[in-house]
Amino acid sequence: MRALRIVLQILGIIILLPAVTILTLRVDNQDADGPSILFPGGKLVSGDLHSGPEPDWSFTDDIPVIELQLVNPMSSRRIFIMESEGKIYIPSGYMRSTLGRIWKDWAFQADEGDGLAVARFGGVRYERQLIRIKEGPVLDGIVAKMSSKYGPGATREAVEAGDVWIFEMAPRKI
Amino acid sequence: MKTKNYLILCAGITASLVLCLLYLPGFGDTVEQLMLGFLAANAR
Repeated sequence: MRALRIVLQILGIIILLPAVTILTLRVDNQDADGPSILFPGGKLVSGDLHSGPEPDWSFTDDIPVIELQLVNPMSSRRIFIMESEGKIYIPSGYMRSTLGRIWKDWAFQADEGDGLAVARFGGVRYERQLIRIKEGPVLDGIVAKMSSKYGPGATREAVEAGDVWIFEMAPRKI
Repeated sequence: MKTKNYLILCAGITASLVLCLLYLPGFGDTVEQLMLGFLAANAR
């Protein structure tokens, strides 16, 4: 009985540590101007808002991660970015695993919702529309860029199978 | 360990951890990097 009590007490502390850590970091960052490394942040506030014609996005090749904020629901996170054929794209991996579904909930929200987003990189905010790309030859260029920039792993087959989701960050129409 | 002492220990651990995460420079970032690595390795 005493041994069981000790085991349960140790188990309680083992559960307590990650629970307190996750809760603290999540609550601490939820209203921040942008995300932390892992946890979502709040509305992207600082930085000039881009207006005018579409830039040459090739400069994003030198940017490893951007900050992306959905409008609905309003939260932000860090994410990869790829430029391909003059357009910019963002990926979301692990989409068919249980842990991935929890981790990448924003992708489901973007796909099922209005897709309105704000991206911030290089100190500039860009109002964008997220459009999921599920298939097609356009994926070849996107996954090639993703592989060269972030390492091999993503393939067109993985995207078309739903393991990896790709969103175009298109200019807003409204 | 008696329940009362155990609860005091848990409260102490919680308070210490929260303070370190919030106020110890770099500690929160290091923990987040480790969690990100764990997710990347296990979310397949």
